[in-house]
Amino acid sequence: MKRMRALTATIFAAALLVVGVARLGASTPVNGDGSNSRGAATAAAIPLERVAVAANEADGPDAAPAHPAAGGDALLEALLTELDRSKAKLKMDQVQAPYYIEYRVNDVEDYDAEAAFGALRESQRVRLRILRVVVRVGDYKQDSYFGQGTGETNILPLDNDPIALRHQIWLTTDEAYKAAGQALAEKQAEMKRFSPDPNPVDDFAKEPVLTTVAPTVALKVDQSAWDKTLEDMTALYRGYPEIQSVSASARFSATNEYFVDSEGTVTRSGKTTYNLQFNGSAQAEDGMRLSRNPFWTVARAEELPSREKLLADSKQALDTIMALRKAPIVEEEYRGPVLFAPDAADDVIASLVGSNVVGRKPQLGRPNRTVGQFATSYKQRVLPTFLSLIDDPTLKDFQGHSLVGNYDVDSEGVKAQTVNVVENGVLSNYLLGRQPLRDFPASNGHGRAGPGSLPAPSLGVLLLKSEDAQSPDDLRKKMMQMIKDSGNPYAYRVETLGAGNSPRLLYRVYADGHEELVRGAVFNELDTRALRSNLVAVGNDPLVSNRTGGVPTTIICPSLLFDELEVKRADTSKDKLPDYPPPPSQR
Amino acid sequence: MKPFSLSARGARFFTMRNSLRQAGCWVLAAQLAAFPLASSFAAENDAKPGAALTRSTAVDKPGAKPTADVVMTAMQAEMARATKDLGKTDSRPYYMSYTVYDQNLTVLVGAYGSLLTDASLKRRQADVVMRVGDPKLDNTHGQSRASGMSSGTLPLNDDQDAIARVLWELTDREYKRAAPAFLDVRTKMAVRAEEEDKSPDFSKEAPATHISGPTIPPAFDHTAWENEIRRLSGAFRKYPDVYTATVVLQVADSKSRMVTSEGSAIESPSYSVRMVMEASTRADDGMDLLRVETFQAPAVSGLPSEAELTAKISKMADDLKALKAAPVAEPYDGPALLSGRAAAVFFHEVLGHRLEGHRQRDEDEGQTFTKKIGQAVLPTFLSVADDPTTSQIAGVKLAGTYDYDNEGVPARRVDVIKNGVLENFLMSRMPIKGFENSNGHGRNQPGLMATGRQGNLIVTSTQSVPEAQMRQKLIDEVKKQGKPYGLYFDDIQGGFTLTTRSLPQAFQVLPVIVYKVYADGRPDELVRGVDIVGTPLAALTRILLTGDEQHVFNGVCGAESGQVPVSAAAPAMLFSEMEVQKRQHSHDRPPILAAPGFEMTAKDGQGSQSKGEVKQ
Repeated sequence: MKRMRALTATIFAAALLVVGVARLGASTPVNGDGSNSRGAATAAAIPLERVAVAANEADGPDAAPAHPAAGGDALLEALLTELDRSKAKLKMDQVQAPYYIEYRVNDVEDYDAEAAFGALRESQRVRLRILRVVVRVGDYKQDSYFGQGTGETNILPLDNDPIALRHQIWLTTDEAYKAAGQALAEKQAEMKRFSPDPNPVDDFAKEPVLTTVAPTVALKVDQSAWDKTLEDMTALYRGYPEIQSVSASARFSATNEYFVDSEGTVTRSGKTTYNLQFNGSAQAEDGMRLSRNPFWTVARAEELPSREKLLADSKQALDTIMALRKAPIVEEEYRGPVLFAPDAADDVIASLVGSNVVGRKPQLGRPNRTVGQFATSYKQRVLPTFLSLIDDPTLKDFQGHSLVGNYDVDSEGVKAQTVNVVENGVLSNYLLGRQPLRDFPASNGHGRAGPGSLPAPSLGVLLLKSEDAQSPDDLRKKMMQMIKDSGNPYAYRVETLGAGNSPRLLYRVYADGHEELVRGAVFNELDTRALRSNLVAVGNDPLVSNRTGGVPTTIICPSLLFDELEVKRADTSKDKLPDYPPPPSQR
Repeated sequence: MKPFSLSARGARFFTMRNSLRQAGCWVLAAQLAAFPLASSFAAENDAKPGAALTRSTAVDKPGAKPTADVVMTAMQAEMARATKDLGKTDSRPYYMSYTVYDQNLTVLVGAYGSLLTDASLKRRQADVVMRVGDPKLDNTHGQSRASGMSSGTLPLNDDQDAIARVLWELTDREYKRAAPAFLDVRTKMAVRAEEEDKSPDFSKEAPATHISGPTIPPAFDHTAWENEIRRLSGAFRKYPDVYTATVVLQVADSKSRMVTSEGSAIESPSYSVRMVMEASTRADDGMDLLRVETFQAPAVSGLPSEAELTAKISKMADDLKALKAAPVAEPYDGPALLSGRAAAVFFHEVLGHRLEGHRQRDEDEGQTFTKKIGQAVLPTFLSVADDPTTSQIAGVKLAGTYDYDNEGVPARRVDVIKNGVLENFLMSRMPIKGFENSNGHGRNQPGLMATGRQGNLIVTSTQSVPEAQMRQKLIDEVKKQGKPYGLYFDDIQGGFTLTTRSLPQAFQVLPVIVYKVYADGRPDELVRGVDIVGTPLAALTRILLTGDEQHVFNGVCGAESGQVPVSAAAPAMLFSEMEVQKRQHSHDRPPILAAPGFEMTAKDGQGSQSKGEVKQ
């Protein structure tokens, strides 16, 4: 059971906007609501193929020769046809011809539903094709990928009609080329402000040609059954008069990614993600807002939890909110041992390590290798020596769980690769896309992007490993010993975190072993320094944490024990309680 | 800066310029947001046989007992609870309303024979309005207006408990905004200089009850329309000069329900269909050229036949081809003839927005007409009314028709200008000096507070000649003034205006088809790249005479209270003087390669670009 995070969502806000807004507007009909006339929409998928075929034939002698690499895929065929034409002929006076062109299409099919208080508020199916075109002018050393030259986005027809597809691709390429021409000039002007770099880093990495056309994926959803499950989960509010708000949502997504570039790479890959989330919130009598947001994310529909399991987990979330309402507030500052359960530890690793090992090039003129806290930490110790960190996107399963961070080809047409990020505590690699960094001239297959957004180096499947992992029991014993040694009456154990790594479920563990749930606390100085110096032991209890929102990633992380962290009272306002009681049930 | 725009499209479609950086889905969202929700088509006006099906029962008597509509029942029960419970608090609300908007939308977007978007959407939104204080001064005063409303999403199914629960949440949230906002307003009033217009913040109106009962939407064959949209958009494939082209069909089956603490209970069902065909090209100098055709109907059966639409497409493509080759017009000041549709947009921008009631008391506004009641502002042969109760003019369905406005006030015809003399403003429930009551023009899109807005703005004339003679009248005027030519504005895409004090009082109307009409008998010459500009008071007095036929512009109008569907109707008009300026435009070249499918006819890399060289 996991919380949903808002953090990654903001990073990929652009992508979410594109899809998110589309889901406002786009959907196929809702089942079982008797929307008769709309019922025809699903059936419409069948005639599409016929239209496409007819158009193909009508094209006759004008049609470009088929590309074997497309494997008969009409969309790849259209992309390659326009790519050929642009490669051969796209050229304006006084602007260089492109040295590199890429097309990426995300064909997204989504099911989105949300329910509150036992009733559905939204349920829809969306299908959308988003094209992103990058045209680079210049050369691999220095090119136009700057400002407006980072590419153009458009939507593509849903039918496989070659002319209609190519028309949009043609226009978008034209725009991207013109923007690239201007961007290169602007970039060169901007660079004149800085003294030349004696060891310049290339702008773009040339990568081996890859041809891989994997089978497409489709969304298999019993929409009305899931609508009903969401309603049942949120109907639990009836048993909890003090709970103010209850909602649940589902977002199931099947995305087929198509990529072609002028170097000759042609890829097609499919991915499904299934995400369910439950939200409950209440106020304590003193006004403090308390909430739980468990979520379930898997890569295969078969692994979705059963209705019974979801109801049980949702009920448990509401029970813990009720317990939190009665829990004492953390009043006094505490410095001492804190044990993070895997469900909390993964967030710490994702935010403090994950976000700092992606190799993002700094702004023009800035001397650092990368941005983030590990910008100058290459070959330095960033974790305790008993820890290593690997990102392995080729991993499909872990202990029987599907991993949403798995992929074969990244969004820049580069094969996924296993990367040793931290070896025995020392930072040995960054995760890279095709934007080189000093000492890192090539991609390691981590250039990933949400639909329509710019690719950026990103986590795939991040695993925290240790030669010295201990059983949860041993970790706890170790903590009990620390309590004794330190003279504190208790230590803290955190089970799950909320936004900004603030604890949601935090327990005081007393010397006699009993635990007490508390509320209203935050960690002070839970940072990369604490991770390096105060992380003293890890468990052998790794948990798979699948995350969606932006690009899907997986963190596999065990319990973490810190010898000293600061826990203090959160400086949150105590909102007024409702001014009048909730409506009585009419049933 | 508040430019108020009117456009035929409702939202920007796929222009070359923006290249869908935000992608079509953004556009779609804007389209959906723009939907004519509250501004429903009047039931009794939909005389079409097909439309008669949409309404089964209509009970319309004061104090009628509400039916068993679950949503309405939940709204009324929660309203009663909130009135009672919040009534006991220190800052008790003196007015509350709930409006629930049911939207059932279908949007099909076709381009070049294929569908870009095929979407159906169902949603139910609630706006909770709350006023704390008293009608003289409340939390919505001045800049604090937004504190009067909280909005959220309601369950789609008629689950009374769940609907009541969300309404309660929204009401409690709104109360926690409105109560502190009122204290803030009161404090600010104490320290600020006295306002010029000391009118109350909220007018007293009689409660209304209108229960329409369940409705059955007219037939809509989704699959058949998917195919028709594919075929229509495919008709643009024949024209290599048309760079972007879309055909959009929006079908909106909506119902709004409103209850107020004053006892109103109003149901307004509406069903409307809108088709927008848009095509663009780019001249060699980089100017983007656009043609838009829109059709409004109470059901898809009311749209023109496929053959008629295909003929329109062919005309649009021909126009674009001619425009691409047309010379750029020079700045000009002289006699001009506006077609009825062009004159309608001109009046919407220049006059209509300045007659919106709330602008007369906002001290940041230009208040062009505020103190002109009883004075002549137009030539005496012109009269202007805004009439949301009319549903059709000259055989064209009007987009700005509704029964009740968004504040629950019955729609009313308002004669704003009679024989040239200003008599009235378009009023919401925000009073202004001398006008204490609403006249049924309080409009908004869901989620925004209502203001006085236009519905169907209708300009009529007593000094008219047969329309066929208007061109000759223009030539006569050109000769009289000793000018070489006059301008004839045939079609426009929209316009905008600025009404605040911080910027010049100005308007712009964006014509797309403009001809030079020569005095010496030469044939008319199509020109491109002109915008009509001017200042309102001067422009309105230069109308010499009008044609004798009404023409309608249906569009979507954007202002503070959001996007609302509107119509403007006017006859063709001859102006003694009209100023035009060169249009600002992009300098990007037309596409470098030939359009897909035309590689053989035009040589790639040489086609349009080499023409661009000639131009430069």
